[in-house]
Amino acid sequence: MAGEITRREFVKLTAGAGAALGGAGAAAAETPRTGWHGDERVTQLASNCEMCFWRCGILAHVADGKVVRIAGNPAHPLTRGRLCARGNAGAELLYDPDRLKYPMVRTGARGEGKFERVSWDHALDLFARRLNDIKAQYGPESVALFPHGVAATFFATLMKAFGTPNRAEPSFAQCRGARDVGYALTFGRDLGSPEPLDFEEAKLIILIGSHLGENVFTSQITAFADALSRGARLVVVDPRFSTAAAKADWWLPIRPGTDIALLLAWMNVLIEEGGYDEPYVQAYATGFPELEAHVRGCTPEWAEAITELPARQIRDTARAMADAKPAVLLHPGRHTSWYGDDAQRARAMAILTALTGSWGRKGGIFFPTAVKAGKLALPPFPQSKRGRADGAGTRFPFASEDQGLTNGLVEATLTAKPYPIKAWVVYGQNVLESIPERQKTLRAIQQLDFVAVVDVMPVEQVEYADLVLPEATYLERYDVPHIVATAKRPFVAVRQPVIEPLHESKPGWWIAKQMARRLGLDAYFPWNTPEQHLESLIAPLGISQDVLRARGAVAFDGRPYLEDRLPEDGPLFPTPSGKIELYSAALKQAGFDPLPRYTPIVDPPLGSFRLLDGRTPVHSFARTQNNALLDSLVAENELWISVAAARGLGLRDAQRVVLENQDGVRSLPVRLRVTEGIRRDCVFMAHGFGQQSRLLCRAWRRGASDTQLMTRVQVDPIMGATGMRVNFVRILPAEA
Amino acid sequence: MPRYAMVIDLTRCVGCQACTAACNKEWNVPLGFARTRVHATGVIGTFPELASGFRVAQCNQCDKPSCVAACPTGATRQSDDGIVHIDRGVCIGCGYCVEACPYDARYISPALNQADKCDFCSARLERGLQPACVATCTAHAKYFGDLEDTTGEVFHLVYDNGAKRFESREVSIGPNVFYTGRKQDVAPVLASFAPHPPRAPASREVWARVLKPLVLAGVGATFVGQAVAFFYQLATGEPDHQHKETD
Repeated sequence: MAGEITRREFVKLTAGAGAALGGAGAAAAETPRTGWHGDERVTQLASNCEMCFWRCGILAHVADGKVVRIAGNPAHPLTRGRLCARGNAGAELLYDPDRLKYPMVRTGARGEGKFERVSWDHALDLFARRLNDIKAQYGPESVALFPHGVAATFFATLMKAFGTPNRAEPSFAQCRGARDVGYALTFGRDLGSPEPLDFEEAKLIILIGSHLGENVFTSQITAFADALSRGARLVVVDPRFSTAAAKADWWLPIRPGTDIALLLAWMNVLIEEGGYDEPYVQAYATGFPELEAHVRGCTPEWAEAITELPARQIRDTARAMADAKPAVLLHPGRHTSWYGDDAQRARAMAILTALTGSWGRKGGIFFPTAVKAGKLALPPFPQSKRGRADGAGTRFPFASEDQGLTNGLVEATLTAKPYPIKAWVVYGQNVLESIPERQKTLRAIQQLDFVAVVDVMPVEQVEYADLVLPEATYLERYDVPHIVATAKRPFVAVRQPVIEPLHESKPGWWIAKQMARRLGLDAYFPWNTPEQHLESLIAPLGISQDVLRARGAVAFDGRPYLEDRLPEDGPLFPTPSGKIELYSAALKQAGFDPLPRYTPIVDPPLGSFRLLDGRTPVHSFARTQNNALLDSLVAENELWISVAAARGLGLRDAQRVVLENQDGVRSLPVRLRVTEGIRRDCVFMAHGFGQQSRLLCRAWRRGASDTQLMTRVQVDPIMGATGMRVNFVRILPAEA
Repeated sequence: MPRYAMVIDLTRCVGCQACTAACNKEWNVPLGFARTRVHATGVIGTFPELASGFRVAQCNQCDKPSCVAACPTGATRQSDDGIVHIDRGVCIGCGYCVEACPYDARYISPALNQADKCDFCSARLERGLQPACVATCTAHAKYFGDLEDTTGEVFHLVYDNGAKRFESREVSIGPNVFYTGRKQDVAPVLASFAPHPPRAPASREVWARVLKPLVLAGVGATFVGQAVAFFYQLATGEPDHQHKETD
């Protein structure tokens, strides 16, 4: 024993001395840094995250003016201290060397990425001058806003005050618009975000194309896992064996594009076998006889021929719904712009939710409880005589006029119909990665007189901007507080700066307010500081700003279920009939199917595959691929292809391939994942990779972009969503 | 004395890597390295009869840690609570422990030039905090606690619910990270990975990591014995500043 101690001491001594002689000098005398920052003088500040749209509660650990760590905030009522990889990597966005640092004006050609630095005064004056010029020549409607994210509210107010109704977020036509329209037509209200899903009480969870787990919304993941632990059963409908599918009791690898047939067959079984919630339907719904007649022929055998799912599996899962009702949580999904019949698919899902009696019941979808926040007293907005240019509310009668159609604005810019669009103001949105038919978007941009981009990072569209304004990150700014009605306990959460903005970046509220001043629209921003703005919103809630800022969030009592509702909550089902509309007279009147029908899907031609897209859990959209930490976890995407298909093409696992779509557009090389876990008629890759901006040192040309290959869309005639899963690709070996 | 352990519920884990990200930030782990990782099994089986899952891997703080025996300097040692520590003042970064770990839980940190690994966030435990990965886990799939605490969740999961150790016939050193969950979630994960028997360090590595520094340190000395004397002198407060690094 003694000998061993001697040996250890010997080596200990040699190690120390070796370091001293090796040039480490003084460092040898002290213990090397452990790497842990817990001993530093750390202040923890509450705020909420913006690495995606879920806005989880965070505690930023700040030491000597530097954010050293971001952790979850246990006091946040929804996310309770949990934080995903992206949230943990917020400081890598803050300190990304590629960040936009100062205002710039373009010096090269659009797309060349050549700029010169200017002052904020110069930049804002230029902005106001160009907008006023365009307004004088073409009218205020010729300026379109493409906003996204929390501070979008400030820019929306600005542009409404300027006199243009034209603004559109991809969250509608490229994401959850079809879903929200389908559910609103049925129940009188849409789902919102976060979705009011009662995982806690669900006995059966059904995911249709939702790949929870690969798609991470922190609190939904926690609740999903809780449900599985509790023994809730799970049905996953997905052509791909997703993370969720591996946890499922039933995996239904459906033929892509045939979901409505499956939904109709489920309704058929529930009705034919008497498994639906008859008292609930009788009490709250209209149109049941029409529905019953409509689905009479939609047997599981009929659906088997379409969906390629065994009739027995369809029947079994329908019976599982009957057993679990009303605690059946049919997840409404989120990114729902797939095939152009998406609002009807959402309708079918909503109707099924009604048949299981799950809307407003435990284990289903619960009611929101309004948070009665304050409102700013603003002057009336000017009314445009020309109306919207994107077709929302006219050509697409059920499209949201508040959220608009991005693709409609692109189209209007290209065609100058119904009137010319001459300037784009883009805030926090990457129009080239979020809107399909990228070539159209590029052509539209080249036709514009003026493009201004406000962003944190030099995403691709920045290279096309005439004016670039660097926004502060979510860690350096105030935003509109997060006011959430769609939680069992509704809440208000604060976004506040944890450090001063770096470089010359400025908060979105400041930029919008400065623009307003220069455009003579000060009256629409009746507050001087963001603290005043916050105060005016939270004052009626009886909570103090100090408490809110210290805790990060304050929750209230909710009334989530049917039996909790009070008269002040308004009608249970704010539809025209005041009931759940299984049969939609509104759709009928507008010339659409009042009950959802399956429209035959076009299969990919021989040798081609349907391109499906989705998420990887460590990235958000195309926004986080340049993040050093997240890049170290997932640097590029992979293309999933079935073993059988790969064998037929002579392709190997991990080989690099290029995708070529039906219009001859080729992707960047992407690594192949040959797997049994996907049907042989489709391929899958995560969205957000293959970025084209040369100003993103890490993300540039890593992996392949699905958006680039989406040169065709099937537009939903009801509400204008761009169905994107209608593109077919061939797989070619990448040249070495 | 507590005996710390972790239980990972594979029914809950969705492989989101929040644990890896939180740990990397908590400990300033150099990019590309990790103290805890999520390994995907990939899809197992034949369409449509398939399975898949994730193995969340980190230092197991084994009952009989092979790294402790492999460490030539005594830098790696186990405290009474079962946690295996690396003494920063003693580790020479030789990498023997990295090779010896059947779970590949260690790495040589280019920032420290030393071995590094999970220690259940000991520094956080001392402050009454949960390990960073446990605190952040979006699926709440990780449980941390004391195996001696009969009322604790970890005790319950291990002794009542039969949480499993990740071991093999060849490697049975008592890892204290356990796996639990439904059979459909645990079985494919345990079947897809196996701990490897401790490896002897490659001779090239021995040269690069141990002998070379020693030789460099001993420049000017003819015999290792002289070097020992010299280092002893150095340590007792009479460093010889004449010796300079010459390479």
